[in-house]
Amino acid sequence: MADQIPLSMTVNGQTRRGLGEPRLTLADFLREQANCTGVHLGCEHGVCGSCTVLMDGEAVRSCLLFAVQADGADITTVEGLAPDDETLHPVQEAFRDCHGLQCGFCTPGFVVSVAAFLETNPDPSDDEIRHGIAGNLCRCTGYQGIVAATRQAAATMKGSRQS
Amino acid sequence: MSQTAAAARYVGQSVKRLEDPRLVTGHGRYVDDIVLPGMLHAAFGRSDLARAAITRLDTSAAEALDGVHAVCTGADLNSHNDSLRASLYPPESPAPPANMLADGDVRFVGDPYVMVVAESRYIAEDALDLVEVEFEPLVPVVDYETAAESDHHVHPELGGNLAHDLPVPNPATDEAFADAAHIITETWHQHRQTNVPMETRGIVASWQPHAGVMEVWASTQSPHELQLVGARVLGIGEHKMVVHFGDVGGGFGQKMFLGREDMAVLVVAKLLGSPVKWIEDRRENLLASNHARIEQMSVKMAVGEDGSFLAADLDQLEDDGAYPLGGPATPGAMATMLFPGPYRMGPVSWRARTVYTNTCGRGAYRGPWQMESVAREQMIDRVAREIGMDPLELRRRNVLTPEDLPYQVSTGLHFETTISPEQTLEQAAEMIGYDEFRAEQADARKEGRYLGLGMALYIEPTSMGMGPLGTESAMLRVEVDGHVNVFMGTGSHGQSLETTIAQLVADELGVRPGDVTLHQGHGSGYGFGTGGSRSAVIAGSAARAAASGVRDKVVAIAAHLMEASADDLEVADGVISVKGTPAASMTLAQVAATAYQNSDALPPGTEAGLEHTARYKAPPSTHSNACHICTCELDPGTGKVTLLRYVVSEDCGVLINPMVVDGQIAGGVVQGIGGVLYEHAVYDESGNPLASTFLDYLVPTAAEVPELQTGHVVVPSDTPGGHKGTGEGGAIGAPPAVFNAVADALAPFGVYPNRQPLDPNTVLSLIASASN
Amino acid sequence: MVGLLAEHGDDAKPLAGGQSLVPLLAMRLTRFEHIVDLNRVDELFGVSADNGGVRIGAMTRQAAVETDDAVADRAPLLHLATPHIGHFQIRNRGTIGGSIAHADPASEYPAVMLALDGVAEIASASGTREVPAAEFFESTFMTAVAPDELLVALRFSAWNQLAGFAFDEIARRSGDFALAGAAVGIGTDADGRINRAAVGMLGVGPTPLRASSVEAALMGLAASDADPAEIGRLAADDMDPIGDVHASVEYRRQAGSTLVGRVLANALAQVSTEAGNG
Repeated sequence: MADQIPLSMTVNGQTRRGLGEPRLTLADFLREQANCTGVHLGCEHGVCGSCTVLMDGEAVRSCLLFAVQADGADITTVEGLAPDDETLHPVQEAFRDCHGLQCGFCTPGFVVSVAAFLETNPDPSDDEIRHGIAGNLCRCTGYQGIVAATRQAAATMKGSRQS
Repeated sequence: MSQTAAAARYVGQSVKRLEDPRLVTGHGRYVDDIVLPGMLHAAFGRSDLARAAITRLDTSAAEALDGVHAVCTGADLNSHNDSLRASLYPPESPAPPANMLADGDVRFVGDPYVMVVAESRYIAEDALDLVEVEFEPLVPVVDYETAAESDHHVHPELGGNLAHDLPVPNPATDEAFADAAHIITETWHQHRQTNVPMETRGIVASWQPHAGVMEVWASTQSPHELQLVGARVLGIGEHKMVVHFGDVGGGFGQKMFLGREDMAVLVVAKLLGSPVKWIEDRRENLLASNHARIEQMSVKMAVGEDGSFLAADLDQLEDDGAYPLGGPATPGAMATMLFPGPYRMGPVSWRARTVYTNTCGRGAYRGPWQMESVAREQMIDRVAREIGMDPLELRRRNVLTPEDLPYQVSTGLHFETTISPEQTLEQAAEMIGYDEFRAEQADARKEGRYLGLGMALYIEPTSMGMGPLGTESAMLRVEVDGHVNVFMGTGSHGQSLETTIAQLVADELGVRPGDVTLHQGHGSGYGFGTGGSRSAVIAGSAARAAASGVRDKVVAIAAHLMEASADDLEVADGVISVKGTPAASMTLAQVAATAYQNSDALPPGTEAGLEHTARYKAPPSTHSNACHICTCELDPGTGKVTLLRYVVSEDCGVLINPMVVDGQIAGGVVQGIGGVLYEHAVYDESGNPLASTFLDYLVPTAAEVPELQTGHVVVPSDTPGGHKGTGEGGAIGAPPAVFNAVADALAPFGVYPNRQPLDPNTVLSLIASASN
Repeated sequence: MVGLLAEHGDDAKPLAGGQSLVPLLAMRLTRFEHIVDLNRVDELFGVSADNGGVRIGAMTRQAAVETDDAVADRAPLLHLATPHIGHFQIRNRGTIGGSIAHADPASEYPAVMLALDGVAEIASASGTREVPAAEFFESTFMTAVAPDELLVALRFSAWNQLAGFAFDEIARRSGDFALAGAAVGIGTDADGRINRAAVGMLGVGPTPLRASSVEAALMGLAASDADPAEIGRLAADDMDPIGDVHASVEYRRQAGSTLVGRVLANALAQVSTEAGNG
């Protein structure tokens, strides 16, 4: 077994330290050592998007990164989006309003991806939404509620930027 | 039932889901989130060959690896396998050998033959690489169409590959065929697909020595099936089998039954005395969980001059794979019985067969019998084309109308008066703008563009009332502070039962949905779980009855305490008040506190406490129905099909939560779209699976799916709430609707597809075959 | 970095964005004693405009290529091709050098590099050498980069003439690898006569390919006279497709040449627009 390497990164605003072999994935580090079990593993080969997190503000597949590569980085997971325990992020609120989830397993990856997508595409057309979220798979909703939720969140977030 | 029916305040509303705040913030608790002290991790070594003898298996190097606690083979585990059968499968029927791990030979690619238990999943997989194994390849049985005649046997113990053969001849069809104006035949093929829940299978098992208790967390649709069969596997009583039910990331039928791996984990956890976790990875899920829809139905139909359906002769053949999940069931028999569907149809004769092959076992997948709709609706479009009639007109001439009901189907089924196929057909045709589309299609064809429209109409038998499927119970308790806990045998894995059951209870008992918490798994009464489109009707009726029982008691106690007449009281949002005099009221919490903590103040003869258990037994079947219509454009240069519009008109009776109903339909529809256009769990001729990752098994993304519109026809069923099941329907109607749309777009080329998937390659070769 | 590669040779593998390599490692389909992570090597990142073209550091993320103005201006085909790579989450990590060194015949950048006659800068312990695109892609997943070498940058020259560019591909789903794709650049003289034609193809051979029959047929034609569908059909002869679970040899040849024609039509329309504007 390879040596354990000390790891340190900011996860949802808090410094998290841990130890891991070089092959430890970022997803496994976040789940097992940073208590972020909202990071879900749906394929572990970079297709389903369930493990999507923000690394230094950009949406990435945490199953395709080694934890050591994120040493020193600023990570936001789905647990870190809501401002407090009583309030939901506009994307989370929209997923609830629009029935953008059923079993909820793909949801953390979708919520993080949509939040990142809307940062760079604040006013997307339906077609842009559908291609923008095509990097995440859902097997329950048929995407109808997810597209609607993305539409709603775009409107809400645009409103709050303007006010 | 209470004397005064509660007004529906919440049923019928798109109440926001109670599940969602935790799920959208990442605070759900799925099986992989369970961590126990000293927990070990299991991984399975699986066959790379479809059929082979194991000539050497040496686990010593794997056992020697640091961090490895056990390496088990079939010889170690299979002695514990006395009765692994699923409850739905009759004990006397022949079945493949009930082994958890392959022993002596492997029978499909993915067949587990060794299991490592280690301190981490990483180490367990390292150890698998150290297992030394040699195989002697044997000729595999891969093609199910010829499996029955093969000299090579998937399970030598059974003496042949034919699992079931159910011929049901009907001499009356002969006469109908003799007199028919048209006789049309075709063999319709579906292809191998798989459920693909986004959460794979998984289980954590923790044995408590001396207590003799097995504590289990699992990704399951049916906690009681796990409790019952798991206890049997372990040789313990069900009272010692504690099954915790957390969040479950989808199943679509895959998680109704225990897999061989689940059983192996239970046995090993007991042997080792340490908690063991197994989380299936995606390749395992695609290779070795279950496959479905590998089937064909040959249809010969007699049609009258006016297009009437005079008779049908059916021959259904389905691939069971090697180890069918839940037993070698025969949905083919159901598919053939249901073939007449929502139409007047003369006599039907049929035969249904299943065969074993050296492939991944068949399992239930959303609407396991939907071949009936696939074969019938595709056949109707074919008939329409052959006799030169519009497919909508042909359906209109044959569809069951309210005047036809109740209707005795020639195959033995009985349709009550509460179905509405004609209404959904007309509603869907109007929603899609049928005549306008046909005009648009004709114009497009002049410009060299190829549009198509497909429709499918079906009746779905939901909430079946037979055998272990027939009942569910609800144990409902108002706690001292007035909040409500309800314990049920369901296994909600996306169906929103925490919300919809709460809506039903809220209306019946007179509380708010948010005051009700649904508990599933340990502590609930036996039920078959969530599948078979059964929870709304069967579990819902049980919840309603339990709530009603408690409500009667609440009203009696409140009447006594308030010195009012029970008939004058109403209960809403947790407050009991005198009708018309809202000031005269007390809260449910006050009634509950009295019932538990001041029982001397209760009316004379009233039992202390505020709880009620009810069990509901369903009628044989509660039928829902729907019509799907979609349109597409086909690119003749690339063979790519783009879906343009998709409408569904459905009747699931009284809707509990319209948002949830629409969500169930949409999910099923997109699985159907995936099946026809994208997904294919294909094997090569040697039995090697070629779609073992998400790069090759193509689940549709948002970009492949059109906007879906739903319409609702509401004819209440005869069950207590008037509901009908709706979970599976989308996946029943979508495949033939999409197929028919593509076939329609191909019509100008004069070609007739009869098999899926209709991927670009297939479409282009169909066009090429036409020009040749 | 190149020192580590020199030391470990075949036992070491450079890790760029990891969007292709890590899945293979996760599924235990490949393994290396040493993974050399390039993600903290600053000099491998970034786009610079250099004498009439662009130089793109190998570790430049695809997302950065997608939005870079110099790339859009000087190597528009790269700009047009990038949104077809996977999904935005993939492009946030995936790099241009990783794509080109991985040399998947169905991926976008290799075909674009070939069409544009890009140049690879390859470093080793003994120095840096340059390899033109035509010599870079040796066979499936095999390139001119030796185990002890590292691809450090790619250079593309701008087309200083009237030109039109177009890219498209056929994929099963949004973001999937292409069943067939085409990257087309058409340049004309002031009279609108084609004097440069570059047609790269992906997904239709063991490596990315040039459609040289198509290019030859285009040369000297007036851009407004060319029949793209007719000329596109010639591409079938330039292909050497490999069938797989998603599409047969015949499919790739037939649909691929149809696509070449369509992409060619778009490029020709672009060049006409350019000419009209000029």
